[in-house]
Amino acid sequence: MRLIVNGASHDVTPPAHETLLATLRERLELTGTKLVCGRGECGACTVLVDGVSVYSCLTLTAACDDCRITTIEGVGRDGALHPVQAAFIEYDALQCGFCTPGQILAAIALLRDNVHPTEDDVRRGMSGNLCRCGTYPKIVRAVLAAAEQTLPNG
Amino acid sequence: MAKRFVTTKVEIEGREETKVVELPSRNPTPWGDDADLHVVGQRVPRMDAIEKVTGDARYTADIQLAGMLHVALLRAPIARGRVTTLDLSPALALPGVRAALTVDDTPDIALDGVRLFDRTIYYANQPVAAVCADSLEIAERALHAIVISIEADPHVVTAERALAAGAPRVRSSGNTPRTSPRVMSRGDVDAGLRDADVMITREYRTPTALHTALEPHGAVAEWSGGHLTVWESTQGIFNTRRDIAKAFALPLSSVRVIKNYMGGGFGAKNGASHATYIAAAFARKLGRPIRCILDREGEQTDAGNRSATTQRVTIGAKRDGTLTAITLDATISLGIGGWLAGPGRIYHELYRCANVRSSETFVYMNTAAMASFRAPGSVEGAFGLECAMDALARELDLDPLELRRRNYAQHDQDKGRAYSDKHLDECYRLGAERFGWSRTRDAKRGGSSRMRRGVGMASLTWGAGGGPPAYATVRINRDGTIEVLTGAQDLGTGARTVLAQIAAEVLGAKITDVRTVLGDTERLPFASNSWGSITTASVGPAVRVAAEEARDSLFEAAAGMLGTEPEDLESRDGEIHAKSNDACMLIRDVCEKLGDVMIIGQGSRGPNPDKTAISAFGAQFAEVEVDTETGRVRVLRIVSAHDSGRIINPTLAESQLEGGIIQGLGYALFEERVLDERLGVPVNPTMHDYKIPTIADIPAIDAFFVGASDTVANHTGAKGLAEPPIIGTAPAIANAVANALGVDVTEIPLTPWRVLALLPRDS
Repeated sequence: MRLIVNGASHDVTPPAHETLLATLRERLELTGTKLVCGRGECGACTVLVDGVSVYSCLTLTAACDDCRITTIEGVGRDGALHPVQAAFIEYDALQCGFCTPGQILAAIALLRDNVHPTEDDVRRGMSGNLCRCGTYPKIVRAVLAAAEQTLPNG
Repeated sequence: MAKRFVTTKVEIEGREETKVVELPSRNPTPWGDDADLHVVGQRVPRMDAIEKVTGDARYTADIQLAGMLHVALLRAPIARGRVTTLDLSPALALPGVRAALTVDDTPDIALDGVRLFDRTIYYANQPVAAVCADSLEIAERALHAIVISIEADPHVVTAERALAAGAPRVRSSGNTPRTSPRVMSRGDVDAGLRDADVMITREYRTPTALHTALEPHGAVAEWSGGHLTVWESTQGIFNTRRDIAKAFALPLSSVRVIKNYMGGGFGAKNGASHATYIAAAFARKLGRPIRCILDREGEQTDAGNRSATTQRVTIGAKRDGTLTAITLDATISLGIGGWLAGPGRIYHELYRCANVRSSETFVYMNTAAMASFRAPGSVEGAFGLECAMDALARELDLDPLELRRRNYAQHDQDKGRAYSDKHLDECYRLGAERFGWSRTRDAKRGGSSRMRRGVGMASLTWGAGGGPPAYATVRINRDGTIEVLTGAQDLGTGARTVLAQIAAEVLGAKITDVRTVLGDTERLPFASNSWGSITTASVGPAVRVAAEEARDSLFEAAAGMLGTEPEDLESRDGEIHAKSNDACMLIRDVCEKLGDVMIIGQGSRGPNPDKTAISAFGAQFAEVEVDTETGRVRVLRIVSAHDSGRIINPTLAESQLEGGIIQGLGYALFEERVLDERLGVPVNPTMHDYKIPTIADIPAIDAFFVGASDTVANHTGAKGLAEPPIIGTAPAIANAVANALGVDVTEIPLTPWRVLALLPRDS
C-alpha cells in the first residue's frame, strides 16, 4: 500500500493491526509525532489525514491507503514556519514541548475548518489535546493570533 | 589566606542540606533594582522553541540506534504476595525475543526499598520480569507467554488500616519509618490554646495525585568498550550517573548520561529509574543498544505520586485574629517507600505565631512509592492550613485576607533567621487590587439560586534560594558566538534561555549569538538536579561568574586593538566600545583577529548567606461558580501575585506560574488516584480516568510578579518560581467554594459527588 507523507510517497506493507502512529514513528522514523497514552485520550499523536485531524494511535495504517498524511515534520521548517508554529513561539505556547506537535496539527485543522474562531471555538476545538505543563492560556492566544495571520484559504 | 572550601546551607524541596562549596574566583556586585541591564529582564523567546514546534526536538523515546532492541515489563497484578512460579522459557522461545531478565540475573538494585524484580510483591504493578525483543510489539506479546503464579498475602492500602493494630506488616521494619512521627515544635501550644479566645479544629484530606508527565520515564542504553551511555528523561543527569555507576560497579567516568529534551518531570525524575537499570542490564547482556520506555499504565502506577494526607488542624486566636497556637496532626501515605515530604513545614512558616507544633506520621503501605511532586509537602500542607485559616476567619467574622495580614511573619521563626527579602505584603496588596478582592468579597455571595459564586484566597511560601555546587563554562568562538556549558537540565522551564540571557548580559553580546548547552555528564561541568525550583538561583550565578571571566579576557584582547585599557571598555549588543576615545569594535571582529584563541571563562556558585532564610512568597485569589444541581465547580478566574526576586525572563516566568496554577486547579477539582481497596490495585491508570485539566477547564489567569531583586540571596537577585504557583491554588479554590456554598470544605478533589455531599440534603 501507499502512503503520501508530507508530500513524499512511501510504499509500506504493515500488518493489518499496525497503527498509523507506529508506521510513522517506527517504520518511517518520523518521531515528531508522539506516543503518550496510545488510546485516544490525549491528542499527542495528532496528524492530518487528507487534511482532517486524527489520533494516529487510533488510526490503522491499512485504512490510509493513498491518503495524504501531514505530520509535524511536514508543517514548516526553520526559516519557513507555518503561522501556527510562529505564533506558538511568539506567545510561548509550549514548555516541555512534548504535546506541541499534536497541538500544532490540531490548531491547523481547527483553523482550516474555522478561519475566524472565537476563544470558545479554540477551547472546544483544542480540548482533545492535553498539556501537563499548563501552556493552555498561551495556546489559546497563539491560535487566535495565528487565525489573524492565516488567510481564509491559507 | 582565606579558606577556599567552606560549607553552606542549601534548601532543596523543603529539606535543608549542608554542602561543601569551593569559593568562586570572584564575587560580583549583586544586580540590584537599579542595575543597568539590557538582556536580563527581557522577554527573549524560548531558545529551543524552533526544535519543539518543528518536531526536530529528540526526546528519549525518539532515539533510534542501529540494532536497537525494545523492552516490555511484566508487572504484578496484586498488591501483596510471593511469586511461586516464574517460567520465562515460553516467552524466550518466541521469534524475535532476545532475552529476559528476572531477579536472578540482575544486579542487586533497590528502588524505594524494593529490590528490582523481587519475588516478594509489595505493591500492585511492581515489575517482576522484563522481556527484550526486536520490536516493542513482540516484547509485549511475549509477556503473555510467561508462566507465573503468585500466592496472595494480605495487603494494606490505606493509612488507617496500615496503622491499625494487627495490620499486615508492609515492610519488615514495620509500617512507619524509624523517624516517624516527626515532631516539630516551637513555644508552648497548650499555653497558646489556653490564651485563645477562639479555637477551631478541622480535619482535612488530600488525595494521591499522579505526575502524569506526558513523556513517561524511559532510557536508551548502549555499552561500548566498557563504557555505558544512557539517554534518559531525567531532571538530574549527575544523580542518574551516580545511581547507574553504583548499580553496575562502574567508575563515574565510564558512565555518560545525556538528556537533551524531556517531556515533563514535575519531580518524579530525579535519578535512575526502573527503565534505566533494565535498559542498561539488557544492553550489557546482549551487546546491543536498548530502549526501555514505560507504557502509560506503568507511568501512572509505578513512577511516583504525591502522598495522600490527613491533616487534623487546631488553630487558636485572640478575638482580633492574632494567632496564639497552631497544631497539626498529620498522616502521610508514602506507599512502599519514598522520603518524608510532610505537610508540616508550611504551618511553621507562613504566619507569625509563637506556639506551633506539628506531628507527622508517615505510613508505609502496599502501594507504589511517592516521589517529589512540585512543592512536595507544602502543596498538601497549604491546603490544610489555608482552609483552616478561612474557617478561623469565618469564626471571627473577619476578612480572610485581613486575618492573614494581621499575622504577618517578619522572620523565619523556627530557626530565628531573617528573610533575605520578603514582599508577601505587596503580593496581598496588588493581588487583592487586581482581583477586586474587597469589591467581590463585599458583594452578596452564595445566594439561593442554582449557580452560586464565591471568592477565596490563600498565601504561600517556599524555600527558593538554590545554592552550590554548580559550575558553568563560557566559551567564545572565533566568530564571536558564545556557548554556555553547564550540566543542568531544562525540563521545559526555560533554563536554556535564562542562562543564555545572563551570559549575554555580562558579555554585552547579542542574545542570538549565545547558545546554552545542557544535559551531558561527559562534556559539561556539574550542576545539580533541576528540582526544588533551584536552577536559576543556583546555576545563574555560576554563569555570571564564568561570563565575567570571559569578558575580562575579551576586553584585554580588545583593549590592545582599540588603543586603550580594558577598564575603559564596555560592551552592548555585540559591540565593544571605548569610553575615552569612542573607538568601537564588534565582538565578532575582535574574536576573528584572535584566530583560534578560545576565550574561556569558568564560574561557580558561591555559598549562601549565613543565618538567612531565602524564600519565595505569593498570594493567590480565585473566583468560582458552583452548580448546586450537578455539583460541578467551574473556576472563573485566578489572580496570582508572586515574589520570586528578580525575574530574568518575564514571559517564561509567567508560563511557569500559569503551569503551576493549572496543575493546582487539577489537584483542587479532578485529580486523584483511585484504588480498589479489596484488590489493592489502582483502577484509573489512564489519562481518561485520571483527569488532568484540559484547555476547556482553564479560567482567566492573571499571574504576575511583585517584589524586587533579592540581592542578599545571590548576585543575580533571582529566586525560584516554578513550584510556588501550585501551592496556594487548591486552597484558594476550596475557600472560594466554601464561600459560594457557605460550608466548610475539608477534602479535595472537589468532584461533583463531594460537592453535592457538602450541600444540605434537602436543598
